[in-house]
Amino acid sequence: MIIHLGRLKPNLRWLAISIVALGFSDYSSSLLFQSAQAEDAGNLYNTAVDIRMGNRYFERQCSRCHGFDAKGNDETGAPNLTGRLRRASSDAGIFNIIREGVSGTAMLPVAADVPDATVWQLVSYINSLRYDPLSVELAGDAQTGGRLFNGKADCSGCHMVNGRGGRLGPDLSRIGENKTPEDLLLSLMDPDQEVAPRWWTVRAAGADGVIREGFRMNEDSFSLRIMDTDSNLWSFQKRELENYERLEKSTMPSYAESLSDGELDDLVAYLFSLRREVLPQ
Amino acid sequence: MKHETALLLSVFMAATAGAQEDQFSTVITPAFSPITWERLVDARNEPNNWLMYSGTMDSQRYSLLDSINTDNVDQLEMKWAYQIPVIDRAETVPLVVDGIMFITEAPSNVVAVDARTGREYWRYDHEMPDDLRICCGRNNRGVAILGETLFMSTLDAHLVAIDARTGNLLWDTEVAPHDSGYSKTAAPLIVKDKVVTGIAGGEFGIRGFIDAYDPATGEREWRTYVIPGPGEFGNDTWSGDSWKTGGAATWITGSYDADLNQIYWGTGNPGPDWNGDVRLGDNLYSDSVVALDGDSGEIVWHFQFTPHDVHDYDSIQVPILADIEFNGHQRQVMMWANRNGFYYTLDRSNGEFLIGKPYAAQTWAQGLDPVTGRPIRVPGMAPTYEGIMVSPPIVGATNWYSPGYSQDTGLFYVTSFDGEQEFFKRDEDYEEGERFTGGGGRYTSPMDAFHSSIRAINPETAEIEWEFPIMPRSSAGITATAGGLVFTGSADGYFFALDASSGEELWNISLGRRVHAAPMTFAVDGEQFVTIASGNVVYTFGLRD
Repeated sequence: MIIHLGRLKPNLRWLAISIVALGFSDYSSSLLFQSAQAEDAGNLYNTAVDIRMGNRYFERQCSRCHGFDAKGNDETGAPNLTGRLRRASSDAGIFNIIREGVSGTAMLPVAADVPDATVWQLVSYINSLRYDPLSVELAGDAQTGGRLFNGKADCSGCHMVNGRGGRLGPDLSRIGENKTPEDLLLSLMDPDQEVAPRWWTVRAAGADGVIREGFRMNEDSFSLRIMDTDSNLWSFQKRELENYERLEKSTMPSYAESLSDGELDDLVAYLFSLRREVLPQ
Repeated sequence: MKHETALLLSVFMAATAGAQEDQFSTVITPAFSPITWERLVDARNEPNNWLMYSGTMDSQRYSLLDSINTDNVDQLEMKWAYQIPVIDRAETVPLVVDGIMFITEAPSNVVAVDARTGREYWRYDHEMPDDLRICCGRNNRGVAILGETLFMSTLDAHLVAIDARTGNLLWDTEVAPHDSGYSKTAAPLIVKDKVVTGIAGGEFGIRGFIDAYDPATGEREWRTYVIPGPGEFGNDTWSGDSWKTGGAATWITGSYDADLNQIYWGTGNPGPDWNGDVRLGDNLYSDSVVALDGDSGEIVWHFQFTPHDVHDYDSIQVPILADIEFNGHQRQVMMWANRNGFYYTLDRSNGEFLIGKPYAAQTWAQGLDPVTGRPIRVPGMAPTYEGIMVSPPIVGATNWYSPGYSQDTGLFYVTSFDGEQEFFKRDEDYEEGERFTGGGGRYTSPMDAFHSSIRAINPETAEIEWEFPIMPRSSAGITATAGGLVFTGSADGYFFALDASSGEELWNISLGRRVHAAPMTFAVDGEQFVTIASGNVVYTFGLRD
């Protein structure tokens, strides 16, 4: 499946190789994907067939903990493998984790009799869940987007980037590592589409009769903690509350109307550039 | 030379006698007396001890101890903590025998500690091969005891006997080959003069069974396969040779009724889990409860909760047995909240379905046949290649974690989850020692978006009497006491007590890490304690001094 943002919005388009999402029934598309990183590291098992085999092996052996979509599982503690990996930055690193496991965690080593070729295929599959950002060329201009972020769109009023900005939204310093341009555009146009529980709103009426509202920083069986719009942190025991409600919606406005298509393109380009390594201009 | 030897011997004997005298006279460490079968059958009447995984043979997890009760439970304080040295999930339910606590640890170790202080007497570390085949973590849930011997399942599919006084290994029996996908995680159950135990590996195409072993030698006395072989009743509920790799693992501890002389045991999913095309038919006795003759192990009756399961709805729940009034008659019942989202009350003498209703969100069945209890399926809810949303999710409306029952309230307590998940089907060939699941699942919403709760169910009506919301999904078991309390834990690391009658919150403490275990309670020198594992720590609480 080749995702063209142009289908969503005509002038935000992919000019070069687009993201390849490996669907099970979409075998041919993986032919388009090659991981430069894997080639550099000498992984010989990185053809489309290898990725497919790795996908199969993953679904069978790894998905119980990491999820069928490899997006991780809070319950098992298995991390999301579709974004930046926490414990490996190279093919060899991924290979070693699969081969040796991670001490002190539930990540066990693959069985000793599983051939190296299979492990390399798994490496290729995991790599295929990401893509080389250099292969993506966006219509927008990141620098212009950066000026919009801090200016007209006032994103920095709520979001921090590299320590500067507001506290009323997620820190976006590395947003480009885990979000596709398509995700970013959708978030700008329809913020309610996917709202992490951390950014839900809670409205709590205390025993003192005061109603306090803020971001749901953390909620558990017996208590909850919020941050109000003045950045005050509040902690409540649920039993001491008169009542409370949570709104599973975003507090962010939609930019579908307030920004032009070109401005949205620029903003997406800027957000996509926010990552640990700076993309060459 | 002879004289010196005699002198040394007499000194040694004096020292030994002195030690014994100290042991029996001190109040710090009470004497440990052998656990007879009679004591096990009558375990409820020595509530100072917790003598088996589920407390008593009927698995009610109901303790007669009441010094900690609804009036003073808010006075609980931590007495000690024992840190398990292996970092993994602690699913252990410790036993306590006369002031000595036996705690199992991941992967398959056991430690004996002073139940008053948590300080160690001895530990047994099981030697483990490096080619384990396990689906879901390095878990061990507890030991069984008979005489002065502990019996423990190990992840490499062995059953070991350990001297309860020293931790010495007495025997080590391979139950099944671990490299074929077999493993063992559950506490065995003592039945008369045998150690009865199940097997795990339902995600590896094993053929499930229940075994009985001689506690003195480790010799196998009988094996009952819960997937019938050719010529046996039920084999024709598996198409082709699919029975050979049909799963139906028996990976949790069962219960026993001494009057009926029947062992009750739950069975797991048929394999492959999410692709039923290769195993057409009802797939007996997967997702069932089987009643076995207490002497021969022969299947006396069975009740299949989910025929031809394609959602991994293991019937791996601990059967709770009680004699209750049902529609004006005294009945010997079995209470069962199933992973498939339905609660059942069965007649345990013959497996007759008495009543059953959903107790959690479920979308796969329209209901249960009022006579047979067989589910009436919603068409088109089987996993597909593209994925289909079904409730309950793979982890179930509940799972292996023990439910509880109070003899005072007559209520059945279960940890429940109202979730949903996308189920996928895949085509897979069986390869020995490899996973054989035929698909999988994924959540499309964060866990916090789902509803979890402790639910109290009336076994006569199958109606929910009260519920206490928790979050997110819990995998903690439940214990009720004569103090009017229900103890349990939560995924967000709380240990807490509810009023058994009303569900009102009475006490909680944040222990910081997920609770994967069931609480147990005991007493030493007349003082009641309650113990729970959270994260990698075993905590014991008692009333403030």
